Amino acid sequence: MFQMLNEKERNEKGLLREDAKSLRKLTREQLAELEEREKTPREKMMDLIITVLPAVVLAISLLEYTIMPDVNPNPMRHIYTVVLAIVFVAYTAAFILGKIKESKGDKKLIRSLRYRAPLYAAIAAILTLYDILTIKTNYFTYPLVPCVNSIMYAAWTDRAELLRCASHTLVLMFKGYGLGVVLGLITGITCGYSRKVNYWIDPILKFMGPIPISTWIPIIAVLSPSLSGGALFIIVVGVWTAVTNASRAGVANVDKAYFDAAKILGASERQLIFKVAIPAAMPNIMAGMTQGMMTACTAIMVAEMMGVKGGLGWYITWVKSWALYNNMFASLFIICLIFTIVTKILNMVKNRVLRWQIGVTK
Amino acid sequence: MAVVLKLDGVSKSFARVEKNDITNALENINLEMHSGEFISLVGTSGCGKSTMLRLIAGLITPTTGTLTVNGEKIEGPATSRGMMFQQHTLFPWLTVEKNIAFADTMAGKNKEQASVDEVNRMLKVIGLENFRVDYPAQLSGGMQQRVALARSLICKPEILLLDEPLGALDSFTRMNMQDEILNLWKENKQLVIMVTHDVDEAIYMGTKVLVMEPHPGRINNIIDIDLEYPRNRASSKFVEYRRQILDLLHFGQKED
Ligand SMILES: Nc1ncnc2c1ncn2[C@@H]1O[C@H](COP(=O)(O)OP(=O)(O)OP(=O)(O)O)[C@@H](O)[C@H]1O
Ligand SMILES: [Mg+2]
Repeated sequence: MFQMLNEKERNEKGLLREDAKSLRKLTREQLAELEEREKTPREKMMDLIITVLPAVVLAISLLEYTIMPDVNPNPMRHIYTVVLAIVFVAYTAAFILGKIKESKGDKKLIRSLRYRAPLYAAIAAILTLYDILTIKTNYFTYPLVPCVNSIMYAAWTDRAELLRCASHTLVLMFKGYGLGVVLGLITGITCGYSRKVNYWIDPILKFMGPIPISTWIPIIAVLSPSLSGGALFIIVVGVWTAVTNASRAGVANVDKAYFDAAKILGASERQLIFKVAIPAAMPNIMAGMTQGMMTACTAIMVAEMMGVKGGLGWYITWVKSWALYNNMFASLFIICLIFTIVTKILNMVKNRVLRWQIGVTK
Repeated sequence: MAVVLKLDGVSKSFARVEKNDITNALENINLEMHSGEFISLVGTSGCGKSTMLRLIAGLITPTTGTLTVNGEKIEGPATSRGMMFQQHTLFPWLTVEKNIAFADTMAGKNKEQASVDEVNRMLKVIGLENFRVDYPAQLSGGMQQRVALARSLICKPEILLLDEPLGALDSFTRMNMQDEILNLWKENKQLVIMVTHDVDEAIYMGTKVLVMEPHPGRINNIIDIDLEYPRNRASSKFVEYRRQILDLLHFGQKED
């Protein structure tokens, strides 16, 4: 009879050496690290240079801005200096902290810095170049294209109004997006599930879907007593269409086998929807919500620029009519910032909800 | 509770998509099965084995004839009739333990201690205690099959329908699982109907082996296996049963 060998005998036969057993209790990060290819000294050097690069470029930018003379008026010129200095110090501090942690075996921070460094360095370089082309050489004509400091100055002096407008935009966006998503989920899921409901909703979707957002503006202006309500309407319509379409397709395409399995396990009609159809359609639903967010961003800007008396879209057109280009750029920047943050949050939610997909899809 | 499952003149046909005709998956099946029996269902591919299980489960309705449990007509799925499907149907968005506890979640008792204990026991039986919080996509094919088996066992069905439950397992794990299933069956005395492609498995496990033939799906023969459990695969009687069933299956193939 053959027998199973014990650990010691296996070791003697060279089947599983003692030193390999330390592998058994690795954490996820240690595993990833282990499976990664060992870097050559040259590559390590490159990594170091790249990680330091943002700090270097920021320093150059600081020197450039403080030393080179301004050719145009530039009130409160040290706002930008301070901001640059803060960013420089913050990055350097993060780098040093990362290095200290790395020496203690925790490579997370230094890795994330290495990953982001090229982008940060590029942004810093572009800002430097932009500064030279505006305030230092007037290559871009003053005051049509203001320098970074002027934009910051404008944002600072008009901060109360900007804050009011930003919150106006945010409130409108959350109301519109929230309502659109909720309605879209309700109709989308019922349509995917019930042919009868789909019979009535489908024509509406087909009819509304291809109409560009801006088409609604004149109609709203005539019909709606308050433009703000009209703006809400077009955002909701945009988001609703996107979410309904995506979740309907998601639910309609759920593998019938899942429903069969759930029925066998005692799922009621309601549970089939909430415990099977919706989770199975979640990837589509999340895609629809992302798409809806983009639509909402467009819709809100269109609405604010074309009629609503408030919000950043309105602010931008208003300051433009007063030739306040600094303020125009300031609000443009804030708009970008808001949309980026909102999209980022949504993405985080998505990754969290769809965690089970890791390993299912690429 | 003792149950009697009766199939009375059951036929099932499916409409085809491309041609305007039908497939006769099952034709005039008459059967009576009781609690405590373990029926092995063998037959060539496409002879209607899965269709028969789906009919008993209540997922599809027969074209003609009736299916009854204790005289009551089968109208739809019920937790008293558990089924494990041929293709794996684990919910990819739920972890292993939540998949197993799915029936309890549906009944609203997944938080109860009894349910938690039962899930733990099942995890132990299938040997996957270390994988309770993994998602199905992270399991091997055989592991997924074992989870699916555990999931169908959790509501203690009176009739247990297994559609090639051990197909994806290596021969060693397979033999272990055969014994585990037999133990569970002896403990609970349900009626088990198991589809398999493995004649040895059919004889090793079943009190009866039902041999089917295709086009249209019919029952060719029912063989009572008159051997004590645990059975010896090398005994002369076992070998004789095997020869007999293989002959029957071969006969079915020659016809088409
Ligand atoms: N939903 C369906 N629609 C149309 N035809 C079907 C359907 N399900 C099964 N059939 C047909 O019924 C017949 C029997 O199918 P079934 O799945 O019961 O076979 P099986 O015995 O389980 O085969 P296998 O061993 O390959 O799983 C086949 O000819 C198949 O084409
Ligand atoms: Mg089958």
